Amino acid sequence: MAEPQPASVQEGIDPEGPPAPTGGDARKAAAALSTLDQRGDDATAPTKNIDQDALSNAISRLELTSGKVTPGGEQQKEREAEARKEKERRAKIKVDAQDVGLLVEELDLTKIKATELLKAHEGDAMKALRAFVTANV
Amino acid sequence: MPSLAGAKERSLFGQVVKCYENKQYKKGLKAADQILRKHPDHGDTQAMKALIINSQGNTEEAFALAKIALKNDMKSHICWHVYGLLYRSVKNFEESIKAYRFALKLEPASSQIQRDLALLQMQMRDYPGYIQSRRAILQARSGVRQNWTALAIAQHLGGQLVDAERTLSAWEDTIKTPPPKSDVEHSEAVLYKNTIIAEMGETERALDHLDAVSKGSLDRTAAMEMRGQYLLKLGRKEEAANTYRTLLDRNSEYRAYYDGLVTALGLQRTDLEALKKIYAEYSEKNPRCDAARRVPLDFLEGDDFREAADTYLRHMLKKGAPSTFANVKSLYTDVAKRDTIQSLVESYAASANPTQVNGSAEKQPDKPDGEKPADGTDAHVEEKQVNGNVSQFDSSVRYFLVQHYNYHLSRDLEKAMNLIEDAIKSNPGSVDLYMTKARIWKHHGNAKKASETMEKARSVDERDRYINTKAAKYQLRNDENDAAIKTMSKFTRNEAVGGALGDLHDMQCVWYIIEDGESYLRQGKLGPALKRFHSISDIFEVWQEDQFDFHSFSLRKGQIRAYVDMIRWEDHLREHPFFSRAAINAAKTYVSLHDKPQLAQASLTNGINGEMDKLDKAERKKAQRKARKDQEKKEQEEAEKKDAKKTAGNVGADGEIKKEDKDPQGQKLLQTTEPLADAMKFVTPLLEYSPRNLEAQLASFEVFIRRKKFLLALRCLLTSHSLSPSNPTIHEQLLRLRHTLNSHPTSSPLPAPVSSLLETELSKLLDRDTDLTQHNDTFLATHKLSTPHVHAALRARYALASSSQLDAVKEEGQKELIKTLELGEDGCKLEDAVRGLELLRWWDVGEEGLGEYRARARESWPEATVFE
Repeated sequence: MAEPQPASVQEGIDPEGPPAPTGGDARKAAAALSTLDQRGDDATAPTKNIDQDALSNAISRLELTSGKVTPGGEQQKEREAEARKEKERRAKIKVDAQDVGLLVEELDLTKIKATELLKAHEGDAMKALRAFVTANV
Repeated sequence: MPSLAGAKERSLFGQVVKCYENKQYKKGLKAADQILRKHPDHGDTQAMKALIINSQGNTEEAFALAKIALKNDMKSHICWHVYGLLYRSVKNFEESIKAYRFALKLEPASSQIQRDLALLQMQMRDYPGYIQSRRAILQARSGVRQNWTALAIAQHLGGQLVDAERTLSAWEDTIKTPPPKSDVEHSEAVLYKNTIIAEMGETERALDHLDAVSKGSLDRTAAMEMRGQYLLKLGRKEEAANTYRTLLDRNSEYRAYYDGLVTALGLQRTDLEALKKIYAEYSEKNPRCDAARRVPLDFLEGDDFREAADTYLRHMLKKGAPSTFANVKSLYTDVAKRDTIQSLVESYAASANPTQVNGSAEKQPDKPDGEKPADGTDAHVEEKQVNGNVSQFDSSVRYFLVQHYNYHLSRDLEKAMNLIEDAIKSNPGSVDLYMTKARIWKHHGNAKKASETMEKARSVDERDRYINTKAAKYQLRNDENDAAIKTMSKFTRNEAVGGALGDLHDMQCVWYIIEDGESYLRQGKLGPALKRFHSISDIFEVWQEDQFDFHSFSLRKGQIRAYVDMIRWEDHLREHPFFSRAAINAAKTYVSLHDKPQLAQASLTNGINGEMDKLDKAERKKAQRKARKDQEKKEQEEAEKKDAKKTAGNVGADGEIKKEDKDPQGQKLLQTTEPLADAMKFVTPLLEYSPRNLEAQLASFEVFIRRKKFLLALRCLLTSHSLSPSNPTIHEQLLRLRHTLNSHPTSSPLPAPVSSLLETELSKLLDRDTDLTQHNDTFLATHKLSTPHVHAALRARYALASSSQLDAVKEEGQKELIKTLELGEDGCKLEDAVRGLELLRWWDVGEEGLGEYRARARESWPEATVFE
């Protein structure tokens, strides 16, 4: 079973709170833990080993998302573009406030979720209800 | 804004802020009051004061003051920021985000507000918002790598994988000289980029990239594992096999590597010779390796299996590995393998102990090896190890057999009990043996003896935390809640607020809390039961809250892949079985409270099975009044006792202020007027995270049908049906839903789409014009040999009956239930019989009916304590 405990140690009794960390690593870990919720990421100095021109270049590229083409990711790009298109299409679908109310009441949904669900089914309340009810089947 | 005029005030204000950040609250308050004396309407100062007050634990006061501050200075970003922080501290994240946004609008340059907003957006998984915030932060400080990585994470999790990769590459392009090899952040970021490429489905490119970067990567194992997976996916089998061989050389215990190698070699489960060769190769290379010896038992059959199992078992038992049984029991689902193992181990026992002698095993030294010298090297070494007066091999064999006959797939409790008695006689100082004996009693249904035996095991080694825990659990199973907490208290910090139980909550000891709750539920003490289930739910909330700090911490440490793993884990947190177990129990409890509000009262007195039924109305009222008075008196006494104790103060070890629990018995929870609405707190996450859990669907149905949310009830029913079409409870629930709809008042018809959807879906399961009663009777007749089916049919019959028929239905039901007790082990298991008892209680059949059922049940389960 368990290793015998040294006589000075008694399980469950901890007179002075958690013991002070001893080893170097433990102390570091404790220090890291105590600063866990402190705001530190601003304090980090910028890395020096960088090409400033390239950096400003990169930043400006960041602005126009569809800017320079990186190699690869073609299929993923298509998928993401499609998702975006679908989102835009859905945004245009009009839904009846009464239908939203019905979904909220019958399916315990929030208004936002109910609207989303309706839009995903072309604003057809019946289709939306059926899809929700049979979702796990 | 009415800014502060004097330089003195300005410096004082700076002091307030500093004091707050350094947690010098008293000093900060003093400084703030000094300003407010001169400028009583200074919004910023009031806001800071509110923040300090909140940190001291006076949330309400803080909110009131923050509102005044806002009124005084609507255009101050400080006031709005503070308002957001206050909302954040009470976990109202949506309001908090709104307030931060407002503050940011007033002060777009504030990096502090920007960061607070970003972290909260991440916590709330508002990815579009988070991407936007991260972009702003990056633009403000583009020289810091973290900010680039953070944006990439935002884009990755937000589904914009291409952008994420581009962001990471953009930073890499700006590095002039290659970073040093010891740069963990770089190594992690590069591997992270690789996982993004792989997630796009571009395995080929991911592999090329990996090969280009893996040399500098510090996490060698991860890089190699990824390489193996990519190669397998691409069908480059030879290289994949090499990779997995390298991995196996590093760690030959990890099964996934064997699987990878086997797949890479294109082997099927039936290519026995080739498979055997692989595993033999690794077991030769690593004489102490377990996996290479154990895995073949999974795919070998017949004589091959017998031979391999023999070698394996002898090897393990000779070593005296206590985990041997646990290691092979997963094979028992295959009946042939189970029987083979049984006959092998029995033969070891027979050759060691030809006649069951009383502990004189010295006379039969290790014979088994003489018969089958099959296993090679270890035999000589191990043979000499004799432990006390019984060889290690003999006692291991016996221990194995005890566990074998105690296991549900090979159970013979009497045999197990005889063996364990012998074993204990020859080795009375073994914790393991007593523990296993307790487990045998548990399987007999004797919770009392199980608890006592486990306590005995505990007393053998009082410093063993594991056995201490076991003893407490068995006490809870025997409904000894006080004894259990006393057992636990030997290893808890008992000066914590709330004593040992309080510490168990602080330490998030989920298993104890849930077992305690279930025990109270069995005793009909619904208040404390609900209390525990709520505690579980709260603990899961804390776990969700805990990730907050890591949104910034992990970035600072550069541990991105682990962070993303954690985020994904958090997204599925409430799938955890402990959560569903608590949630299902809570939902059931609330349903009982809805059906029988008097249970709340009964629970205050002494459990559901009180004497109430025997009394007439006036007497019952009187008794209830008396019970309430007693209860009040008791509460008052307890409160006084607590006040007396309250000298030490309630500050926890970490300086946090802990509030005393004012309602330890959960009476507030019991006195709810809307039990079904309360149940939704559990049902909603339950259905969202564990939709494939049958129990969860069945329990949720009960809530929805009572709330008249028929479509949601239908949804549960359809889901249950797709999970397990033949489950008897589905039959019952289907009939009840039909019945409820048929008797729905025509004066308030359901909305047209709802009723039409219900009709079409339900008629797929049960024809519209079915005579429900008759259908149920047929069901009962068809399945009269299976107790769960009988129960379902009886419950359905009760639900379908008109109020004048109820007594007859109960009487008939009682007879049917007693009949199930005679169905034998196949038709009626112990759990089924217990459920029958619960059903009778639910029907309030009275002590006489319960007594008869118990007496009959005792005949079949003489040891089971539930029927005493």
